[in-house]
Amino acid sequence: MKFKDYYETFGLPRGATQDEIKRTYRKLARKYHPDVNKDADAEARFKELGEAYAVLKDPEKRAAYDQMGNQWKAGQDFQPPPDWDAGFEFRGDGADDGIDASEFFEALFGRHANRAGHRSSGHARGEDHHAKVLIDLEDAYRGAERSISLRVPVVDAQGHVTLAERRLDVSIPKGVRAGQHLRLAGQGEPGRGNGPAGDLYLEIGFNPHPQFRVDGRDVFIDLPLAPWEAALGCSVSLPTPGGSVQLTIPAGSAAGRRLRLRGKGIPGNPPGDLYAVATLSLPPATSDSEKAAYRTLADAFDFNPRAHMKG
Amino acid sequence: MSTKDSQPAQGTIVEEELHLTLLELCQATRASQEYVVTWVYEGVLEPLGQAPEDWRFTGESLRRARLACWLTRDLEINPPGVAMALDLLDEIATLQARLQRLGEP
Repeated sequence: MKFKDYYETFGLPRGATQDEIKRTYRKLARKYHPDVNKDADAEARFKELGEAYAVLKDPEKRAAYDQMGNQWKAGQDFQPPPDWDAGFEFRGDGADDGIDASEFFEALFGRHANRAGHRSSGHARGEDHHAKVLIDLEDAYRGAERSISLRVPVVDAQGHVTLAERRLDVSIPKGVRAGQHLRLAGQGEPGRGNGPAGDLYLEIGFNPHPQFRVDGRDVFIDLPLAPWEAALGCSVSLPTPGGSVQLTIPAGSAAGRRLRLRGKGIPGNPPGDLYAVATLSLPPATSDSEKAAYRTLADAFDFNPRAHMKG
Repeated sequence: MSTKDSQPAQGTIVEEELHLTLLELCQATRASQEYVVTWVYEGVLEPLGQAPEDWRFTGESLRRARLACWLTRDLEINPPGVAMALDLLDEIATLQARLQRLGEP
């Protein structure tokens, strides 16, 4: 396990006041919240901020961390010294439920870091857990099986806490859309005593696709056409996430024209639609015969594309 | 250490097949009932049903309630502020979706 420097996470010196910590956290958290910031690493950054703040905002935890942390640097191999928290009262206070903590945090402050003597007896339902899973758009058309990796705190016989990896195979139902949640009953935190296990909620996201764009249940694809295909009409083979389909392009299709394939979006009740958006591709005129062809076009048309411009 | 379950776990799509009760929503978001009730009266969450014991929340409420929790707990925003922040975030999401339809990155 690596030591984490929570002050470094905030870019603050160790002597920062509680007010400075709060202000810095809020500023950074607003910037990196995954609902606000769509960058790929925003979510990881936001989690780190949440964890650092859970320790530094609490004077008791911060004092214990400071007392121990003076001797360590970020990234160093680390094991909590025995009785590092002697004299402090914060273990298992449950105040940090909901943060997605690192192994380092779990070992020092996690609910599971309770020593045997401190553990509350009795029965309680396990917490619900949340995780995100990215699937391909094609998976939503066909259904899929995904193996996801979850981190679960485990307490060994000596009372040390480590995060064990738990692989879970999940069946992704056909028709699921980005932003939706799957509930897996009983796959959250195990219950205490005879309490039932919590549930696991998986938020679905789509991996970016090189061709298709998705909006809710509708799917969009750009369809490049040659000028003569757009003008005269044609029949093309169009790839869709569910397999290719034959599509008739009507004569006189302008760039931006949307051709709807009803029901070819993400399956469901009702299914989404697939839209092919026409774009025009102009072939470059390189050879003599290609140049001659463009000149013939110019002669054949009385066409000024700038007719609407004044002056 | 790694453990593996042999059968793939079957999930239920919350948004399509489930409605969460007040208790289930609180368990899933770790929000107190008091907060959830306030958010409902503030219009942040719109459950079906009249009295709290009859409320049924859609999957969309799950996302909104988690966000509301964070805004309340860490940013100490009051319920009307939470409602406003969520409305603005919704509007940004709608605009981003529109950009995406048009093929902008």
